[in-house]
Amino acid sequence: MKVLMKPIEMIAYFEQEGIPTPIRFRTSSENGLHIVIKVNKIITKTEEKLAGNKMYVFRCMSFINGIEKVYELKYELSTCKWFLFKI
Amino acid sequence: MGKSPDRIIFHIDVNSAYLSWEAVHRLQHGSELDIRKIPSVIGGDPVERRGIVLAKSIPAKKYNIKTGETLYSAMQKCPKLAVFPPRYDLYVRCSTAMHKILKEYSPKIQRFSIDEFFIDYTNMEKHFGNPIEGANIIKNRIHKELGFTVNIGISSNKLLSKMASDFSKPNKVHTLFPNQIPDKLWPLPVEDLFMVGKATAQKLHKIGINTIGDLAKYNPKSLEKHLKSHGILIWNFANGIEDSPVLDSPSNIKSIGNSSTIPFDVEDKNTAHMILLALVETVCMRLRNEHHRAGVVSISLKTNEFISYSRQKKLNCHTDSTNFIYETAISLFDETWKGEPLRHMGVRLSDLCSSEAVQLSIFEPEEWLKQKQLDSVIDKIRIKYGTDKIMRAVFLNSGIKPLLGGVSEEDYPVMSSII
Repeated sequence: MKVLMKPIEMIAYFEQEGIPTPIRFRTSSENGLHIVIKVNKIITKTEEKLAGNKMYVFRCMSFINGIEKVYELKYELSTCKWFLFKI
Repeated sequence: MGKSPDRIIFHIDVNSAYLSWEAVHRLQHGSELDIRKIPSVIGGDPVERRGIVLAKSIPAKKYNIKTGETLYSAMQKCPKLAVFPPRYDLYVRCSTAMHKILKEYSPKIQRFSIDEFFIDYTNMEKHFGNPIEGANIIKNRIHKELGFTVNIGISSNKLLSKMASDFSKPNKVHTLFPNQIPDKLWPLPVEDLFMVGKATAQKLHKIGINTIGDLAKYNPKSLEKHLKSHGILIWNFANGIEDSPVLDSPSNIKSIGNSSTIPFDVEDKNTAHMILLALVETVCMRLRNEHHRAGVVSISLKTNEFISYSRQKKLNCHTDSTNFIYETAISLFDETWKGEPLRHMGVRLSDLCSSEAVQLSIFEPEEWLKQKQLDSVIDKIRIKYGTDKIMRAVFLNSGIKPLLGGVSEEDYPVMSSII
């Protein structure tokens, strides 16, 4: 997997405890077109506090252009931003 | 289990703090380059190449780059040097996260500076194992959770634990108990001892003291003749004698100050007054923010030939009024300044007391109440809409920033003289 750390638009749901689960997100592909990716499966969910900055890291699986891919999403609590971290 | 009369004190010190924190922050945000592994420094402005080195990576150390030297000279030593500007908000966040972890291991924690903590581990053995095991648990947890490395020094007092954490870096636990002093502490050069600076070291060399051991074995009475009470203090330190408690309420601020190096030489009174005003504005805002009032105002000046001097004045009554403090600062300045070009100016407020319960003074001028309200409104506007939204007319088209300084590491001093 390659590190991208690309900001993305996200639809997610938040549990009563405040924990988010990503559902689907939109990002632009290399040719500038928007693509929407549905999160098919969340394999792991971890929390990191590197440099005191809390982030949730999700390892997910989706079909992208017909190929099943594993990638990582990050949610930064201090900025409420979602990132496509690695793919 | 027998009661141990000795305390167990840990000193936790982040390895090249500002640089490690920046590195971890960058890695978390997708950078593939670990700036700890290349020659890099934190400090100043990388574009204007102004400022000094605040922290350096281990590879930068190999180029003989020193903390405190100018960026210009560091770049000459290593032209490929990567320079990153300081980010105090990040440092405060890292420090707070570390404090939160440490709180789980002892009720007594002292934040000695932004990247150094003392914790009292006495009687914690039953919970987390012997001191070395406990220290390793803490060290590894910080590394795993927060991503940066620390050194931990273990001893029976704060001074020795601080000396121990400095032995060899990074990511290590060291002990320095009183019985290890002759082997571990005494062979070190005397400059390595806490509170022995350049000037003191020179004086010590002159009387034949080169190692900490030489100092420890010297006659304290003759040392007092040479160095006054400071001689006794460092003699005690060289012998590992120090018994201050771990103070768990470090937020007891003793003074608030601000200073700025000016990009040009200040040669006239008006400009100097404006710079003082800009400094006073930020200092007073911080003072009010901390709900304090000050009883002493001091100013410090540094000329273009790096000669510094300072003056202070005790006020009739405690105040947090920008105008009143400014008037005191300029009267001090007018008394002190001899007309030489100035490169650096600073304002510091001390003898602080809480502004929540204040002794009213019959000397307090009547217009203070109005000024208080004005200050409070200005503070609110600046907090809500930004500091540049309201400024004094004197700064219009002056080229001088209406507020100088800001959140600086003076909130958490890098090195304190009081252990």
